[in-house]
Order: sequence, then structure tokens, then C-alpha cells
Amino acid sequence: MVGLSAGEKQFMHGGIAQDLRSDGRQRLQFRPISIQTGVIPQANGSARVTLGTTVVIASIKAELGKPAPLRPDKGKVVIFIDCSPTAGPMFEGRGGEELSSELSVGLQRCLLGGKSGAGAGIDLSSLVLAEGKICWDLYIDGLVISSDGNLLDALAAAIKVALSNTGIPKVSVIVEASAEDQLEVNVSDEEFLQFDTSGVPVIVTLTKVGRHYIADATSEEESQMSSAVSVSVNRHGRVCGLTKRGGAGLDPSVMLDMISVAKHASENLIAVLDSEIAAAEAAEDDGS
Amino acid sequence: MASGPLETYSPSQTLERRHQQQKRKSFNEIDWARSDGRNFHQCRPAYLRTGATSSASGSAYAEFGSTKVIVSVFGPRESKKAMMYSDVGRLNCNVSYTTFSTSTRGQGSDNKDFSSMLQKALEGAIILETFPKTTVDIFALVLESAGGDLPIIISCASLALADAGIMMYDLVSAVSLSCFGKNLVIDPTSEEEACQDGSLMIAYMPIRNEVTQFTLTGEWSTAKINEAMELCLEACSKLSNILRSCLKENVLGFTD
Repeated sequence: MVGLSAGEKQFMHGGIAQDLRSDGRQRLQFRPISIQTGVIPQANGSARVTLGTTVVIASIKAELGKPAPLRPDKGKVVIFIDCSPTAGPMFEGRGGEELSSELSVGLQRCLLGGKSGAGAGIDLSSLVLAEGKICWDLYIDGLVISSDGNLLDALAAAIKVALSNTGIPKVSVIVEASAEDQLEVNVSDEEFLQFDTSGVPVIVTLTKVGRHYIADATSEEESQMSSAVSVSVNRHGRVCGLTKRGGAGLDPSVMLDMISVAKHASENLIAVLDSEIAAAEAAEDDGS
Repeated sequence: MASGPLETYSPSQTLERRHQQQKRKSFNEIDWARSDGRNFHQCRPAYLRTGATSSASGSAYAEFGSTKVIVSVFGPRESKKAMMYSDVGRLNCNVSYTTFSTSTRGQGSDNKDFSSMLQKALEGAIILETFPKTTVDIFALVLESAGGDLPIIISCASLALADAGIMMYDLVSAVSLSCFGKNLVIDPTSEEEACQDGSLMIAYMPIRNEVTQFTLTGEWSTAKINEAMELCLEACSKLSNILRSCLKENVLGFTD
């Protein structure tokens, strides 16, 4: 928990009102972001994202599974976020669980689209190998290493980067199967298919402190928030999901304003991430 | 089934007519009938009653179409000793499903996040300063799940809180909406929810004009968000009037 004195609170509120925050940023400016790919060798794809002093890791694992009977033409994606107590004592026990499930639900809402699969950041149909019989199950695991606010945005960025780093083994289905329901597959360990990440959105969280809202709040700033709106926006500027945090109410017109501001801020974030991904890929190619 | 006044809170006909005219203009849209015969901007009839359980400080029962929900409010009671001192009250929300509430037994446990969503939707409406150091328990039970569960739980819970005499700024009413291609369908049933392209849920305090909870899934353009919000906010205002009249009836019942 962040304990701020009355003076510190006033300093922070005053700074935000004057568009100059405690760390010298403007209201809608993100902290410096840096990424690293391929940090977990056992996973199909992984990334570490550092956003100021917030550090998160995302890992993607693909396993062969069976599609759900109701959705034979779609693969499955499971998102799980772990807030380890090593990041802070407040994550121990129930506090960590609550935050973990809140973050997981928020990310699911933003990445997986509607129930029919429309507008999903990850194309579930591309995960199917043989309709109704075999598909890839994608396990997305996020880990919070160091927590200094704005975890949702950092995790979404980490997942986006990790997906772009993901190679799924090429699978050929052997048609002549022994039993009717059982398909035999041949999983190649040399050829990998690159995952299409063009549709994966980023999340921009606007935190309302006083009368103004700020992007990429630190945990000190988050402790003073009245409410926050997390908007996920894709490359085409479409809103893909929205979550409101914090109990205080918001005027509907303020809400719409926040959505349009978040859309604007997301353009910069997508551009920064794209260049960072390209740089990381180049670095990896040099290394190998 | 409910025997009593059934009221509907659909957004106004003029708005509806305007949307229908818009619909006629675009040719590629297919109009289909909803399984229960409603049109796209028509909500299910709402039946609400307070005092569903006698041992609670306040309780309410809501029936919207065939979705049936009971909410009980207990307290304020002393916060557990292990909790840190707090000069404002706390809310403890819990949403559970009966095992027979869904067509497949025990499917209701999928909605683990409803408890925290309910808490966030109500927190902004309750004057927490009026009961420091104490906790109010809100328990919701879904008897039958037939779509729009969370908004109905939220509306029913705010009614139960009012029945318990917990101080609030305003009643919270909530409405959800599904999106199918270009069409917006208000108050979806569970069949509609299962194949929706996107969804939107708003919890709203009409008198204070504040949104306390807002979630959105699927891909939306700004124009569509505007249109959907307009529809939902109007339905919320009307639902709030129904909640209010339900509370008034309760008081009149006592004086008679």
C-alpha cells in the first residue's frame, strides 16, 4: 500500500492539474517502455516488458487439444495472470488472487472479442487443425515481477509482444486414422508458423485523479484515483474492449471523452511497440 | 411466474422508430424475430418485489423474463478484526448460482468475476461514510439464468440496499446490450448472448447522471458506442423509475 502524506497528495493533485506530474511527465505521456523477447526458452513465445519500474513477463504455450463441442471451428485461448508476492507484500493471499482474477478477466475481455469470436485480437479459427477434432490450445500466462502501477497496459503490451514472438510448430494431419475419432498428427519440430498479430490490440488505461485523467499512472498516482477506464484499441482505431475500475461514478460524456482520448493515445503506443518489436527481432537475428 | 404488475423499461418508441427507419435505409441488414417475439429495442417485462427473505436487513426479488434473482443485504455489521481500520464502510459482495439455474448443471460457476463487478457497480452509489468500521454483506443468488444476469443482479441489489435502509446517492440500474453485425439488441437472452459479436453493459445512476460500471467486449466503432450508450442510458433511467415505484408501493402497503 502506498502511504502519502497530505502534502504529497496536494503536490500530486496540483501537478496533474498543471500538466506536470511528479516524474516530469505530461498527463498523457507514457513512461519509457522497453521490451525483450524470447526470455523463456521453454515457451513457444515470451516477452518481458518494462514500463518505468513496472516489470511483467508474458509467456505463450501452445498445446494440442480438442475444440469445445459447441465451437468445433475454434481453438481455445486461456489467459492466466499471476501476481506473485515477490512483487509486493499486498499480493500475498487473497489480495493477490483478487487482482489476478481482475486482470485476467480484463485481458480476456479485451483480447478475445465477443462470444461469437467477432472482433477478437487472436483469430481463434486459425488455431483449428481439423474441425471438431484437434486444435491448438493457447495458454497465455502473465507474471508481475515488479509492480509500480498500470499493470493492465503492461501485461497487454507483453502479450502482444510475446504473440509476435510466438512460433507454433507446423502440424500435418495424417488422414488415415486408426479409429474414426482419433486423428494422428505429425508435429514438426523444425518448421514453425509465425502467429498473425496484426489484430492484437493494446490497452490504454486512463486514471482519473481529481478532475483530470492521466495515462500510465504509477502506483502512487493510482492510490489517489477515483476511477479508471481501460480501453483496448486495435490498429484500425476500433475499440475492442473496455473495463471500468474503481467505484466512483463517471458522467457519460466524460466516459466518451476518455474513450476518444484513449484511442488517440493508443496510436502512439502501437507505434512505439511496433518499433520495439522490430528492434528486438533484429537483435535476436544478430544473436543467432 | 410472477403475478403482479409487469413493467417494461424499453427505450422510447420515437427512438426506436428512428432506428427502424435507419434500418430500412440499409438493404443488407437482415431483420429477424427474437425468440420471445420482442423487437430489437424492447426490453423484457420486469417484475420486482422487496422483502424476499425475512431474516435479512433488506432483500429484493427480480424477475426479468425468465431470469430470476434474489438479493439479500445483511448488516452493517462490525468488520472482521483482521481487517485494517477504515473510516468508510466496506461492501462484501457475493454472487452465486444455483446448480439448476442453467441448462447444463453447475454452469453458473463460470461467472467468477460477477462478485467484484457487483461491488464496483454499487460502491459509487452508497454513502460509505455513514457506516465507518463496518461491513455490509450483499448476497445474490441466481435462481434461473436466462440472459442479462449481471445487470439484473445489480439492479436488484440496489433495490435490496434501499430496502435495508442503507444510505445511497441514487439507485443504480443496469442494462446490457448485444451487438450482432450492425444491429444492437437490448436486454439479450442467454441464447442471444451465446452468439453475440459484442456486448456492452452499463450500470447508471440516472439522477446523478453517473456511470458506475461499464464493460464492453467485441469490436466497436465510436459511433456505435454512442448509439448503444444512448439506448442503454435511456433504458436505465426507465428501469430506475420502476425500481422507485416498487419501493413506493412497499411503503404504501405498510400504511394501508
